[in-house]
This record gives sequence, structure tokens and C-alpha cells, in this order.
Amino acid sequence: MTVRPLSGVRVLDFGLLTAGANTSAMLADLGAEVFKIESGAYLDPFRVVGKSDNADGWWNRSPQFRFTNRNKRGLALNLKDPRGQHVIRALAAQCDVVVENFRRGVLDRAGLGYRELSAINPGIVFAAISSQGDTGPERMNVSFGSTLDATSGIAALTGYEGEEPRISGMDVNYPDQIVSLFAAGMVITAIMEARRSGKGCFLDFSQREVASFTLGEEILASACDPKRTEARRGNAAEGVTQQDAYRCRDGRWIAVTSESAQPGLLAFCAGRTSAEAVAELLARGLAVAPCNDGNDLLRDTALAGVTLVRDEKGQLVKGLPYRLDGRGITIERAAPDLGQHTEEVLRNLLGYDEAKLEELAKAGVTSVTPDVGDV
Amino acid sequence: MGATDLLPLQRFSVIEVNDRDIPQCLRLATSLAGKIAADLGADVLKIEPPGGDPVRRAPPFLPHGESALFQFLNTSKRSLVLDLASDAGRVTLGKLLDAADAVLFEEPASVAAELRIKHATPIEIAAFPVEMKATTRPASEFTILALGGLLHMVGEPERKPLKLGGHQASYAAGLTAFTGLAAALAAREAGRTASAVRISLAEVMQWVNWKAASGADATGVSPGREGKRSEFQIVPCRDGYVAIVYTVTQWPAVRTLIGDPRLDDRKFTTRADRRRNVTELYEVIRPWFADKTRLEVQALAQARGVPFGPIFSPAELLETEQYVARSFFAEVAHPRLGTLRLPQLPVQWNGQSFAPRPAPELPT
Repeated sequence: MTVRPLSGVRVLDFGLLTAGANTSAMLADLGAEVFKIESGAYLDPFRVVGKSDNADGWWNRSPQFRFTNRNKRGLALNLKDPRGQHVIRALAAQCDVVVENFRRGVLDRAGLGYRELSAINPGIVFAAISSQGDTGPERMNVSFGSTLDATSGIAALTGYEGEEPRISGMDVNYPDQIVSLFAAGMVITAIMEARRSGKGCFLDFSQREVASFTLGEEILASACDPKRTEARRGNAAEGVTQQDAYRCRDGRWIAVTSESAQPGLLAFCAGRTSAEAVAELLARGLAVAPCNDGNDLLRDTALAGVTLVRDEKGQLVKGLPYRLDGRGITIERAAPDLGQHTEEVLRNLLGYDEAKLEELAKAGVTSVTPDVGDV
Repeated sequence: MGATDLLPLQRFSVIEVNDRDIPQCLRLATSLAGKIAADLGADVLKIEPPGGDPVRRAPPFLPHGESALFQFLNTSKRSLVLDLASDAGRVTLGKLLDAADAVLFEEPASVAAELRIKHATPIEIAAFPVEMKATTRPASEFTILALGGLLHMVGEPERKPLKLGGHQASYAAGLTAFTGLAAALAAREAGRTASAVRISLAEVMQWVNWKAASGADATGVSPGREGKRSEFQIVPCRDGYVAIVYTVTQWPAVRTLIGDPRLDDRKFTTRADRRRNVTELYEVIRPWFADKTRLEVQALAQARGVPFGPIFSPAELLETEQYVARSFFAEVAHPRLGTLRLPQLPVQWNGQSFAPRPAPELPT
């Protein structure tokens, strides 16, 4: 097997939910060793959002957490306790990358911001992913997923013809999904620079900017022509002759794009099952596809490609958005239980002995259970 | 970054091959990946077919008739026209590839087989996963959104599904291709064999839409578009619209913000309660917005930690205080088109942005 691109790279991962945690997951998939840091007092919210029961260990059973945090080791350290902060600083001295998407100022207040950690380790690449970026009058603004559909411009261009704007919604939270696709590449770029120069850097990602960046041509066109009005046009696209979703006889929708006018497509689709309509329109040379739902995606393994895989427990998790040498990934470790690897990592990486580990556990600096109540 | 700083990818050379007869959805992905590398300093040479990349003639257009799409996607690159149907064109390309670190191209390219075995690491962009054996199947961004399940997620349940605004299928794949390219360059620089990278738009869309698969896997029922049944909706305000978004833990703050005692009713206590009574919920919530502007709503909501989202158009973003403060938009001096205002790469490196240089003119 070829040595993977990020083999030998260590990542201190404070990433939460998708934006942060998935950026580190993509680094793990490329061979980096990722230490995910949580604390008993503050779990990755995905452990809570995906809660399905109240039985003991519920925090280790969330599908959303499992999907996103495979291939990582998990540590639980109290960042508010000076002894926890001390451990983090010792870990930072051994790591190449920090990924975090806390609200601005949280790590600074704990003495764990870029200024402090780069003083310990000048080569560290510190990726701060936030809603609005680390500067500017809105830097402290909160957002949640689809807030950024709205404020980035995407929602203004999404909707039925002439009706109100639309957001991707809580089951997609689209702006959260795309940031890691870009941030992972930027972190790799900064790692190369750090290897070459010995100097790390502070990477400041605004998720809102990532979403607006995907509308670059619309922003440019509007800047040059103040009279330009972008309207909501359903599924139509500028420069495309005919494009829409059509309902078929079996009640399913299909999507069609055509460079020439296709009169009668509505009736054509209404008279056929979706499978028949897709097959006949493909034979005509049109771009056409069924509107799949989550169950279709689970069934169609050829379509899934390398995007879904199973971990060592046989459970479904997120795969890769690309393939290397034709292959996806094998999951080397399932998503960690809370604090599963705290002792292992502190022992192996920092040389802590049993007495010291016990002391930290007794003081509640390390833990394997949440100290939050019912959430 | 400032003119005196070395850009981080400056020592790398990347060839972007735009062959003829390639679906636009693939071209846009390839060009976005190349653009990011070029803005970061890589020497990106764009190989265009005779007559130029068809994206030069694709909307939206600038007042002069030039393509805004092309100008955005090709900043900081150089360009060379090569007829890849001719032997001479292929020989020239071969020589360029011998000196390059990576090559970006699309699966249906006439020269794809040759590009896969060259010295430069291949970064290949396709519409579909290998397993579908669908190299020649027609593809568009819209049909890819449908295949990947994202179309199913937006709109009203009884009405047709809706695409998201912008070129999301192509651009998400372009961002992915950039990360694949960065991984390849890092491997090469560390003296390792870089893996060939293959990205398909259909796989990227499914990966982005992973909650549909995880939801269906966990409960047997797929998430889908909920429209007016969703707890998150769009409400009109005095000067536009606002997206209502909040987490479970932010509900008490939403209640305080709106300040209507009817929200204290037990039928709105939990998320399940609010979803069950969503029509009534919005009857109570909606009037609060009527006399407030989007910015007033945002200020009042943020003061209580509530993430409501005012809806801005691309034109309005140009004036957004936050974007202006962060200099998110670069002014690119184009030799023929004048000043072009473009979003810069959405990252700051030690506080510095990466100023794009103008897209190349079609060589004559």
C-alpha cells in the first residue's frame, strides 16, 4: 500500500458537528492521526442531536456522530480546568494541525488560541472555522446551518417561480456540508508550507464566505450591472432551453435537462413509470435522472460509489467524496466513545503514568460520561 | 497576500485540460479547482480547444457581453489554445505534462487515457461513479442533484422538488478536486508516489447529502422536503424575507425574542410539539416580523443568540458590512473589461486574502 499523503501528520481536533469535525475527518482519511477533543461538560452536539434513547451510553450511539467521526481517536478533557488546559498545550506541542469551530473567543479564553499554541509550537497550522470569520463587526454572530443559506445569497436564488426564497433546511444544512471540502485542501496547503518553512499559520474560514463564494459569477454580474435582477426561477437555468422535474405515473419525480425544446414532456412522463420515462429519455440522448431519496441511495450501491462504507462494527458511516487510485477507504477505527482514548494517548504521547492519569480522572479533568443532565 | 509574499503554491505547475465536447457541468468543476490553485499561486495553464473554452460564451453575462462565469472561474490562470485532435497538439500537450506536477481533466476527454499515465498526477473529474459504467451518459448539474438526492430535499412535499441556486453540483465537486489536488501535491513534495484522484459529481452530491442516507438507515424513512410543514420556514418582513432557524436549546430565547405569551403554551414545548403544531406556531410568530427590516430582525435576534437569517441577494452582499470589513470582494483590474468585483478565496491566511489576477484572454 502506498504511504498516504498525510501519514505522519497529527491533528488536534476541536471540530464539532459537520463543519469542523468533517474537516478533520477528511484529514484522517488521508492518513493523518486525529485526536478529537471533547469534554464531559461539552459533547459534540451531534452526540445529542442523534439521541434515540435514554439508556446508559446514549451519547455513544448517535448515527450523525458515527458518520462524521470515524477514523479518529477520542479524548475527553475539561478545557475550563487549568489541568485540562495544561494537557492540551502538551498535546499541541506534539501536533501539526489544530481544527476548531467554536464560537470566536472560546479557545482564547481558555488560553488555547492561536497566539498561545503557536508560541509553544511555531509550526502549527491552526484552522479556525466560524460562521462569519475571525474579524469584522459580525464575528460573534451565531448561525446554524440554513442561517447561511439565507445570508450567503443561496436562498435568494432558490424557490418556485416568482415565490418566496427557500433554504436547504435542517436535514441538509447545505452551507455546513461544503466548507470541509475546501478547508481540508487549504489545511494541506498550509501543512506543505509549514514543512518547507517551519512556520505554521492561522487559517480563518468564514462559512458564510464559502457559501457566497459558490455564487461568484452572480456577484460579479450584479457588481457590473446594478440593474441585473436575479429572480427565483424554479428549476430553470440561464442558457438552458428546458429543465425541470416531471411527475411520472408511479408518483415519482424525474429531472430532465434538454438543450432543445421538448414539447409534451409533462404528458409523456405522466403516462409512464419513472423507470420507463428515464430509459426512453436517455435513449433520446437527454440528461435525465430519477429524484432519489435516502432509501434509494442506500439501495443503489453502484450510484453510492465510495460515499458510504461500513465500520468494524458493521455500521454504515460516511465514506469519501473522491477516490485515490480508484479506491475509497477502509474504516480503520469506528467513531470513538466519549473519552475512549484519553488514557492511551496521554500515556503514549505524553508519557503520563497511572498515578497521574488517576489523579486527572478523580479531579474530573478526564471523563468517559457526560456531566450534563438530560439534554 | 501582499505582492511581496510568496504564495503557498507558487512552486507548483498544474495543467488544466478543457477538451471539446465535454458537458458544462464537468468543465465548471475542473475550472473551479484550477482557479483555487491559481489564486494560491500555482502556475495553472489552461488548455483550451480552438475557439476557446465554451464557458467563455456561457451566462451570466457582463454588460459588455463577456461571460461573468468565465471571468470568475479562470482568475490567475494562463491559457493556451491547442487542437487536441491533431498530432501536433497532442505532442505539445505531452511535453507540457512532462514538466507539470498535476493535470486536471474530465473523464470524457479525448486524451483522457494519455493523461492518466503521464508524469503529472492525474486529477480526473467525471459525472458518475466508476461502478455505474456510464462514461457516455448525458449529465447536467440538475440531473446530478436528482441522482444524489439533494433535489428531493427542497420545496413543498406535494409540489415538484427544487434545485438550490447557483452551480452547487459542479462547485462542490470543484472544491473536492482542489482538496484532491492539494493531497497529490503534498504527497509528491514529500517524495511519495501520489495517488491518481477521481472525483464524480454524483458521489460528491451524495456525500454532501449524507444525512438522507444516515436518516434512512437509522429509521427506515428517508428525510425529505417538508416545505410548510418544517419547523424552519421563511417569513416576510418589512423589506424582504427572513429564514427562521434555531436549535432546540435556543427555543427559550426565540420565545423571549418574539415575546408572545401564546408561545408558552405546552403545544410548543418540544421540537416534536412544535412540528405537530407548526401552522399555529407560525400564526403566532409571523406578525412580529411585519414592521421590522431584515437588519432590525438580525440585530434583535443576535442580541439574544438566535440565528435567524435575513435573506440577501447577491447584489446586496456587495454592500454587506461584514464582507466590506473583511475585504471579501477583490477589485480585479482587467485590461479590457475594467474593474471586476469578485469574491476572493473564502479564507484568510495570517489575516491576508489571496488577491485574484484577471482571467486570460483568448490567445490569438
